[in-house]
Formats: sequence, C-alpha cells, structure tokens
Amino acid sequence: MSFATKRLGKELAKVHGNLPPGIALVTAEGFQEWLLDIQVLDANPIYMGQTYRLKFKFSSSYPIEPPEVTFVAGPDRPIPMHPHIYSNGIICLDLLGTQGWSPVQNVESICMSLQSMLTGNTKNERPEGDEQFVASNRRRPRDIDFYYHDNTV
Amino acid sequence: MALLKLSRWSAVIEDSNHAISLLAENMKAYYYLAQAQIALHDSEFALDSAKKAHELCVKEVLIGGKGAGSLNVITELVLKCKKENWERKEKERLMARGGLLADLVGLLERERDQKQEVVHGDTSQELIREISNEYAEKIEELRHTFEAANGAHDEGRRRKVPDWVVDDITFSVMVDPVVTKTGQSYDRSSIMEHLRRSPTDPLTREPLRAEDLRPNLALRAACDEFLQENGWAVDW
Repeated sequence: MSFATKRLGKELAKVHGNLPPGIALVTAEGFQEWLLDIQVLDANPIYMGQTYRLKFKFSSSYPIEPPEVTFVAGPDRPIPMHPHIYSNGIICLDLLGTQGWSPVQNVESICMSLQSMLTGNTKNERPEGDEQFVASNRRRPRDIDFYYHDNTV
Repeated sequence: MALLKLSRWSAVIEDSNHAISLLAENMKAYYYLAQAQIALHDSEFALDSAKKAHELCVKEVLIGGKGAGSLNVITELVLKCKKENWERKEKERLMARGGLLADLVGLLERERDQKQEVVHGDTSQELIREISNEYAEKIEELRHTFEAANGAHDEGRRRKVPDWVVDDITFSVMVDPVVTKTGQSYDRSSIMEHLRRSPTDPLTREPLRAEDLRPNLALRAACDEFLQENGWAVDW
C-alpha cells in the first residue's frame, strides 16, 4: 500500500460524519479523486444559499505533494465568484501550489481555507484575464505560476 | 533477496546471520532477517532485528549515506513487527484466560459430582437434579462473567488513537519521533521525505534542515509503550 493510500484511508476514517459545518463529503472512490460540497455559512450576499462542489485529485506522493483542487460545475453547483477563482474552476491559492503546500495540511483544512477565502471576499468578480486564461490554459493547476494581480483579496 | 522472494525463510535467516557475522553493521541483512523472522512468527526477534535495521538506517540518514533511502520501508517494518508482537502476546493472554475458565469449570464440576455422590435416601433423585441445576447455573454465570470481561476488553480495543502518538504527515503512529523548533514532532521517516522536497518547517514554512531535527526520546518511549498495549493502532 502506498504512502498516499494509507494516509487517505485514515483521513477518510476521520472525515466520516465528522466534518465542520458547511463541508460535506460527496464521494471518495479509489483514493484518487474525492468530491466535497462546501457552503459559506455567514451572510455574505455573494455566496448566500449556494453550494459549491470541490474536486480533489491525489497523486501517489500525497501528502508530500499537494492535491489538485478545483471547483467543478454541475446542476445547482456553480463556480463561486472570486477574484482568485477562474470561471473554469481553477483556484489560485498559495496553499495549493508547490511552494505554499505543507504535508500537515489535509482535505478538511483545505476545505476550511477555501471556505474562509470565500467568506472574507467582498468582490463579486473573476480574476483579471479570466476569459483569455480559460480559453488558453492547458496546464495543470499546480504548475501554473499565478501572478497575484490583487494581493489585497 | 531471491530466497526472500521464494519464501525460503530459514535460508534467509542463515544468509543474513552469516552476512552480519562478516559485517556487524549490516542494515540490509537485519532488514531481511526481520522479514524472515516475522514470516516464521518469531515476532520478538523480528522486532529486535527491525529496530537494529532502523538504528543503522538512521546512522546512514545522519551521514547522508545511500542507505538513507530505505528509512520509509524500514520504519514500516518496525511498525509491522510491533503489531505482530502485540498480536502474539494478545493471543497468549486470551489462551491463558481461556485456560483459567476451563480450570474453574472443572473445579465446579468436581464439587458437583462429590456432592451428588454423598446423596442418599428416597429423595435422592430429586436432590441430584437440584444439585445439577444449581451447578449448571453457576457455570453459566461464570462463562457470562468471562465473556463480559472479554467484551469490556474488546470495547477498550476500539478506543481512539491519541493525537500525540500520531505523525501529522502520514497519520501513523510514530516510531522515531524528531522535534523541530516549533515543538511539533514528526516521525523521522516522513519529515525526511518532506525535507527532500521542501527544506521548510511544515507548520511555519521557515527554513528547516535535517540537521536541525532532534530526537524526542520521551515521546519515542511513550509511543513504544502505547503500541505495546495497543498494537492494533498500527492499522487503525
């Protein structure tokens, strides 16, 4: 059994029925891809009443390497508006990049970071150059060197 | 190595011991030896061999030798040996307890037979039946008591693994905890794996080098003791 499988098995055991409010496990199959739903719990008007779906993809060297985390769209599952979230679901968050990642992070802590990233946001807008990025990007999210257009967010 | 794959365990043990006699500090030989001993259910010796392999591997890690890359598999092997050792002790304990129950039941049956032998007179059949019933109840009660005790023990086995024995990177019980300047401990094998990719403290992302790690001996002893009582925690 690989490093990643063992650790994910334990994370799953911890996560079952024991997630913080506003975070719910949808599926966790094969230890390669998990889906989770998150909601913003305070009264932020941008996200009120919405549920967003996150897709986690793990490599065999998780948690030494970060998982790939994106928002995925579906019926009743929009991509949240945020200056660091592209309309194709790619998230620009240092925690998820090769530089900012730490192996003590886990699925739950990532979900909570994303929750608070949304909670604290007041700008109902996409990142600069969203259309062009979405049309042209072929790279994997963690290989992209995001240029932080607006570090005040 | 081929013998190991072929599961010819006693030949592996022979070869390993020979290799160790030629070169005492032979990490690989101890590693193979432990695997063969565990396959032969010699868990106590296996644990000693695995610990020796681990100790030699840590030396390699400290000098940056080529054996350092084996730290992960050796750490896993130590855990496996600890689990096997606990399972063996657990089995012995349960057998001893089963033996005690059989002894007590035997004593009660003997007492019943003695009482029944001295019964005389017209009502003897009735008395004998009464005595039989009385002892059947006692034996039943005794079995219940033992079952309840075992049940309570099984209940205890499902207890949670305390956070202080768990490595925050692998979520496994630590074998060789080392501490960083934040005061947080990690298993040496997993923090080394992390440092290979990124020489930073996992909590603060400040620069962290392998030389900055210090063994946490008290925690190591505590984790060891925890696993002696709770070997199941290896696979929680």
